[in-house]
Amino acid sequence: MSILVRRSNLIVPAVQERMIRWSWQRDADAVTIDLQDGTPAAEISRIRKTLRQSVALAGKAGAQVFVRVNAEYVYADSAAAAGPGLAGIVLPGAECADHVADASAILDDLERTHGIAPNSLEITPSIETGAGVWHVRETITATPRVKQVVIDEAALAASLGITQSADHDPLVYARGRLCIEATAAGVQPIAVADPMGTQTGQVSRDEMIQIATDSRNLGFKGMVCGHPSWIDAVNEAYTPAESLVDYYTQVREVFAQALAAGTAAAPFAGRMIDVPVDEWAKDVLAMSAACAARDAEKQAARQATDVWLDAHPWDQ
Amino acid sequence: MTIPAKVRRSWLVTPVSQPERVSAAPSAGADVIVLDLAEFVAESDKPAARESLRDCLFPAKSTGAEVFVQIDPELMLADLSAAVWPGLDGIVVTRAETAEQIMAVDAIISDLESRRGLSPGSVALALNLETALGNHNGFEVSTASSRTCCLSLGRADLVMDLRPEPSGEIHLMQYLMQRLVTLASATGTVPLGAWWRFPDRGLHATPENTLEAALRGRAIGFKGSFCVLDNQVRPLNEGFTPSESEVAAAHGLCEAYASATASGTFTVLCVDDRVLTPDIARQAANTVAFSEACSTRDRFKIAAVDGVPIPVP
Amino acid sequence: MASTPRRLKRSGLTMPIVTPRFINNAWHRGCDFINMDLEDSVPPNLKDVARNLVRESIPVVNKGGSDAVCRINHDLMEADLNAAIWPGITQVNYPKAEYGHEIERMDEIITRLEAERGIRPGTVEIGANIETAVGVANAYEIVTASARVMDFGGAAGYDMSRDLGVEMFVSFDQFVYGKGEVELAARAAGREPHAAPFTPNITGSVSDPDRAFAEADAARKCGFRIGGGLHPAVVEPQIRGFASSDDEISDAQWVLQEYRKLARTGTTWVQIDVSTVDREGSPRPMGADSYLGRHRVIDRYEASRAEELLQWRDLCRERDEEKAEAVARVRASEAE
Repeated sequence: MSILVRRSNLIVPAVQERMIRWSWQRDADAVTIDLQDGTPAAEISRIRKTLRQSVALAGKAGAQVFVRVNAEYVYADSAAAAGPGLAGIVLPGAECADHVADASAILDDLERTHGIAPNSLEITPSIETGAGVWHVRETITATPRVKQVVIDEAALAASLGITQSADHDPLVYARGRLCIEATAAGVQPIAVADPMGTQTGQVSRDEMIQIATDSRNLGFKGMVCGHPSWIDAVNEAYTPAESLVDYYTQVREVFAQALAAGTAAAPFAGRMIDVPVDEWAKDVLAMSAACAARDAEKQAARQATDVWLDAHPWDQ
Repeated sequence: MTIPAKVRRSWLVTPVSQPERVSAAPSAGADVIVLDLAEFVAESDKPAARESLRDCLFPAKSTGAEVFVQIDPELMLADLSAAVWPGLDGIVVTRAETAEQIMAVDAIISDLESRRGLSPGSVALALNLETALGNHNGFEVSTASSRTCCLSLGRADLVMDLRPEPSGEIHLMQYLMQRLVTLASATGTVPLGAWWRFPDRGLHATPENTLEAALRGRAIGFKGSFCVLDNQVRPLNEGFTPSESEVAAAHGLCEAYASATASGTFTVLCVDDRVLTPDIARQAANTVAFSEACSTRDRFKIAAVDGVPIPVP
Repeated sequence: MASTPRRLKRSGLTMPIVTPRFINNAWHRGCDFINMDLEDSVPPNLKDVARNLVRESIPVVNKGGSDAVCRINHDLMEADLNAAIWPGITQVNYPKAEYGHEIERMDEIITRLEAERGIRPGTVEIGANIETAVGVANAYEIVTASARVMDFGGAAGYDMSRDLGVEMFVSFDQFVYGKGEVELAARAAGREPHAAPFTPNITGSVSDPDRAFAEADAARKCGFRIGGGLHPAVVEPQIRGFASSDDEISDAQWVLQEYRKLARTGTTWVQIDVSTVDREGSPRPMGADSYLGRHRVIDRYEASRAEELLQWRDLCRERDEEKAEAVARVRASEAE
């Protein structure tokens, strides 16, 4: 089974057309155009008209493009986005199987009418309420369209009546439940890159690598990035380090030699290499290869497109 | 429930078998007085406690507190018969464990409400999930009766024999507390509890530790807590009420958000080194709303002490 | 209240059954149990050899008084059970438990083998270990699938980390949710939780005696009763860490004495500042600076906890004597 590599997912408000125009240049594995948060009601129709172009633009360097729809306008928002280059929708506030099944029926319809391969559009439920956390199993198993599920921590805290602070982490249970239930269902759990809701755009690269590494060590498979400066750090933290890849490459060689010599345990670098260690090594090397393949794919897409420009709106 | 319909920050548990404590309870200033028939009343004292309970209800409300009665589900018929009289606001069920048990409590209350002239459905339920089975069955237990307004872990540390770890945290409690907050949100009820640490046990702590436990509890989503001593009430009220500086900061965020969105060109903006997103603005609005609800509740209690009748908020 | 397990499992060694020098030397280490491993420490090409060794190893393991326990392979359950269920086996450990039906199937096979091989029905317990996200998600279904599941835990460690794709030995507790689910399921089903307080282990050492003692000591104070390890160096520290000290025993007797006084008054609890209690008397409470603190509440809960502590002391003493006598018998017969 191939490994889905979607480490970083840059989320950009749909109303920020300038940012969307530049979003493809930031090396994110995915870009999500957010129609829900920050879109003034008066702007929504205008935004829908150009949404297909925005999707195409955001994806031109190989990023998979998602649209975060309004929970109340799943049909209108999805229909406005449906077309070449759309990978799927993010469904805010999902908290039961029916929410996801209803959205799936809408996508069935759009796939038929737009000539998109059946069941190819993904649904990423966004968990934003206590009920969403509690009912996460039925929510993510409602349709095979669900490949990832994201925990929107700031929204969840607001829904629980919590004001987030750095002193006490209120979402240990929610995060843990999401990681366990998603992994059990074969769905990737996705975190957000400002776990306490208190980070600014000025987080240092080292800090962001630490934040991303900690979330990976809870079982998450990627992060939603509210700011493009975080993408690089997130990609790095979610890609097996070169030293690790070297180590496990040698582990596999040592173990293969041991097997050839008729034993299934061999000492290497102060550690006994046996079947479980070899299995772990396979996992790491497979993930490394998948990341490399994804990076090559993005590289190829980038080379086929315009030159890089120097100034970015985020940098100003 | 993001903002609870009723402000119930402090729940003072008072054994009905100790008349001096019952008469002193109103002066402690609790949002809720819990007249206890279950936890702190010796078995031999229970019949007399039940006899005296009806006459305790209205006096307990003299300072504006709501009055709940805490019952033992194994003795539910006798305890409820003693408790459900005009003036009662609700029942606290200790060791709430199964949906069947809560449905049985609900049915008995409905019967007593109708026979004793209480308006139907007026008696609320607060459920203490104190056993492992009760927590395991939490969703079914919480949704078994439409009366259920609050969930807590009660004295789960004692009932489940959960002891302090070397860190001072009580074993399994972080998991159970956050689970309860999630469960309450999923079932539309209000989570009650405080984040106790060693040496606190069984709702029992010094005023200083109670304040700290309340502040930590609020940070993870609790909206109020039970306590067993009069001097814990003020720390609970204080700890569960957003502080002036928090409210001022929240007002600032709300205003910044309002003006940013009013211009129609909302962008991600930073206030005091913090990214202001719609969800952060929602969190701030919740703080402001809950703070206002607390002020209203406090004014009501002051008026009750002064003898000025004002309508219940 | 912490229920006292029928069989003590304070310390135990898990070792590859195909390594005779480990198995043959384990009997005199003083373990409560010895876990003969058919799983991860046995290479695939030796699984058949390993199975054939279990029956003859049981008396070797038993001769120092340790319980004989066997860890089977998740994917070879039937063959492994057939090799492991012989008189003398007290528990079978089942790794990577994921579904209730797996445990039901195990129960059926064990029940049949007990009957065929003259083992009293219900003797063999199941240790079910949760090592995957699916296992956590189905924890309650698994623990309630058979009354034989008397040892239920996991949701951490090597395989769990691999399933979630996380590194091991980080400085924070990665598994709060999974461990919580598993422990809650065990408690809800009325089984002894196999758990321990989190202590960071960033080195991954399995042979550090100081760490083993500290973990067992913290586990005991927290009410837990089950240990185990991989290295002989941790056996003695675990036994020591799970033992109540003389001060704790005196303290428990003091609590019971105060509770008897309290019960006569009709009140349900009282708080005592132990710094004001005569420290020369007997029994006497632990000092104000002990892990129990200065202000002690005496009530029904504390009394039952004190009773349990005294029972635990007796059980540990009996078990240690039993093992010491067994080892002495072997030494004596070897000397002849």
